[in-house]
Amino acid sequence: MKFSACFAALFGAVLFLLPASAAPVNAGHARVELISEREAALPGETVYAALKMDLDNGWHVYWRNAGDAGLPPQVLVQPGSDIKADAVGGIVWPLPHLLPVVAGEIMDYGYDEEVVLPFPITIPEDAMGPVTLDVIADYLICEDTCVPEQAHVKLKLETDQAEANIRDGELIGKWIAKSHVPFPGEARVQKKNLDWALSLRLDGGFGKVRSVRFFPFGHEILHPADQKLELGRHGATLSLTAADDSAVSKPLEGVVVIEHDDGSRTGYQISAAEGAPLPDTSGLGPAGGAVGLGVSAWKLILLALLGGLILNLMPCVLPVLSMKAFGMVSAVSSGHAGEVRRHGIWYTAGVLVSFGVLAAIIVALRAATGPVTLGFQLQSAPVVAVLALVMFAVGLWLMGMFELGTSLQNLGSGLADRDGDAGAFFTGVLAAVVGSPCVGPFLGAALGAVMGHSAPIVFVFFLAMGFGLALPFLVLSFVPNLYKLLPRPGKWMDTLKQFFAFPMFLTAAWLAKVLGDLAGSGAVAWTVAGAVAVAFAAWLWHREARLPRILAAVILALALFGVAERAMAPAPAIGSSSAYAAKYEAEPWSAGKVQSLVAEGRPVFIDFTASWCATCQVNKATTLKSKAVHEFFAANDVAFLVADFTRKDPAIAAELARHQRAGVPMYLWYPAGSDEPQVLPEILNQGLVTSLPLTP
Amino acid sequence: MITINRRNLSLAAGMAAAVILTAGALIASTAHSVTGIAPGRTAPAFTAEDSNGASVSLSDFAGRIVVLEWSNDVCPFVRKHYTRPPGNMQGLQADAAADDAIWLTIISSAPGNQGYVDGAQANQLTEERGASPAHVLLDADGALARLYKVKTTPHMFVIAADGRVAYQGAIDSAASANVADIATATNYVREALTSLSTGTPVAVRSTKPYGCSVKY
Repeated sequence: MKFSACFAALFGAVLFLLPASAAPVNAGHARVELISEREAALPGETVYAALKMDLDNGWHVYWRNAGDAGLPPQVLVQPGSDIKADAVGGIVWPLPHLLPVVAGEIMDYGYDEEVVLPFPITIPEDAMGPVTLDVIADYLICEDTCVPEQAHVKLKLETDQAEANIRDGELIGKWIAKSHVPFPGEARVQKKNLDWALSLRLDGGFGKVRSVRFFPFGHEILHPADQKLELGRHGATLSLTAADDSAVSKPLEGVVVIEHDDGSRTGYQISAAEGAPLPDTSGLGPAGGAVGLGVSAWKLILLALLGGLILNLMPCVLPVLSMKAFGMVSAVSSGHAGEVRRHGIWYTAGVLVSFGVLAAIIVALRAATGPVTLGFQLQSAPVVAVLALVMFAVGLWLMGMFELGTSLQNLGSGLADRDGDAGAFFTGVLAAVVGSPCVGPFLGAALGAVMGHSAPIVFVFFLAMGFGLALPFLVLSFVPNLYKLLPRPGKWMDTLKQFFAFPMFLTAAWLAKVLGDLAGSGAVAWTVAGAVAVAFAAWLWHREARLPRILAAVILALALFGVAERAMAPAPAIGSSSAYAAKYEAEPWSAGKVQSLVAEGRPVFIDFTASWCATCQVNKATTLKSKAVHEFFAANDVAFLVADFTRKDPAIAAELARHQRAGVPMYLWYPAGSDEPQVLPEILNQGLVTSLPLTP
Repeated sequence: MITINRRNLSLAAGMAAAVILTAGALIASTAHSVTGIAPGRTAPAFTAEDSNGASVSLSDFAGRIVVLEWSNDVCPFVRKHYTRPPGNMQGLQADAAADDAIWLTIISSAPGNQGYVDGAQANQLTEERGASPAHVLLDADGALARLYKVKTTPHMFVIAADGRVAYQGAIDSAASANVADIATATNYVREALTSLSTGTPVAVRSTKPYGCSVKY
């Protein structure tokens, strides 16, 4: 007993001696800790501290705008703090998540599980010895119910030298990188009563996105409302719902959060003035499955029904239908009307089941391969190129350049010859399956249109098409005399089939234009060459001898593969900001490198940085990665070097020491031809960098 | 076979009456399309049951100033304003009564959710808190809250004698759950009531309410 009491006392004493920052305060539903990127900082220096909050499962805290209910956390600097309130900057808010409270009615914005809220602090100029930061973290934390909590947390910093706290610095830097950055494009909002369209223009577009959501700083929009996304070649448009119809002319401000295809997120801070939508910010359909033609789901379904009806006119369907209709008239006249009707219904069932199975296969395939591979995105150049070739091939087939699967038509007709309901059912199945030489190419084109839609719509689409195919037979089985209205099979069917080739060629031409926008004229040239190869293959196939046919298959495979591969190359979108950002690569620093660049007469900018340096991440996000700075560097042929101090490097340490700096960040600027650098402030901004003197 | 007797007849008549009433209500509600919760609009009409089982309509108070207070006694933001001292909400209720205004406290928590009370519990709360609303309306299905697009507690409305919304939003300017902030905050409801009684225009007519979400 005595021993354990001693041990407890000793343990308590040890806890007491630990620095304040090492002990998270449990304020009820969150463990709160005050951390810093430094163990020590120099007087007058600005460094980053952060509130680290570890939340109970299911509880959340809020973003700077909490949404419909809730409050953002606050840092209340206490009177006893050496670092006073005016030396503590605003929180750098990480991108929020949606927190639906009541689906469709109440929406909040905030954080789950863990959040780190960084903010800058400035060490007093006159600091002698250790300084404390003494704050109360005041926050509202909610699950189903809300609890206001306060955590009194402290931090102690030495001021005799600059020394990083690598673990906490890494963490703060990571969370600063999760905040928003200035939008390198332009934003505008068009207001029509309660329907607002936020158009976001960015050269080169947003790429492949999963979702885009606007988080406002204010309450101008209805927070729980859906935000319909429409992508364009150079940006996107979001449909917003205004909170009320009061006419406010202030710009709409907030953060647009883009969730990329790989799950990562980018947040752009925007200020959108009222005005007409910006060009090229719509027209490519929603994310994750471009419809391309921009038709809504119900229109697609109507088109499917119409398409199914047209299928009846195809050479491999109409003769069968006419023959059946003739048979029905004689059956009805001999008093078997009821039986004929039942057959009509069974036939329809057969067609619908076949199309349903087809839809199921497509949906299953899509689920198995993932939306990325089959997801029909007209933003993907290879997909567009291959689709253009498929359209072209369908056109050739319609023209009669080649025949497909004629042997299939004879298959299984034994089943359909059976009498009774089963026979009628299988005739329906056969109309779909055996008619596939006619139906198949059309289905291929239709597939493209619906691939991006949800599974139920794919089903409804195919069932509508099947119903369209079965409809004439169904009608005839109830009113057999209508057969007189049926067009007689004949030469005109081939003419009609050939005519349908032209819409297909036009579609291919349109796709070539889309491809040109996506990947440039080179890709279009390759696709046209591919089309020639397809035509050549079709012609060879027509020879009907073995060798030409094998050759045809080889050429077809090569053409498809070659075109897809060529189109895969990234678009040469020179001059667009996103392409530029990707192209902009910093070179590693070395003293020798600087000397040779200076000798060349180029201006040199050197970024002494480290992944654990939070201030460095802020400068990177706000300034060094910005479009304005990139353009300034490019226009003036500035060499951009990076000295990465993430791992201790004696050469970098020596260079820092040479400029009387104890650590990173440090920014050096060599005007053209000067070998004496200018040491820039630790906190950068775009104006400062873009107005640097080019000559000494 | 359906035989027509008196019972069937009265049943049919009752159903027909219900249909006509529903249709009439629908037509009536669309006719008043200029209602809304934005300041200057006519406050949407409603009828609800109070904590004593009586039916209360907004139209009962035509010609008088009406204050609507959305409440949930467990919500820390509501508690902030009921804490004594300073008893901010109670003081406001007394001031409103002195101005001859009608104060309606509305509770929209669904059964089983935080803040739900039955009539007896509501009366007990009024007693315990020293509150003096004219009525406490029980809106367990949230119909009234949805009609007024209320998403937080507390959310306040001041309806002028002409039936128009004079103020809607937060009770005051200090968005916090801290009682100490009441002393330095601007009380928008009191300002609106004062303006209405002195005949001057209401300066702040709409704010963003702060607090807990309504527990639908």
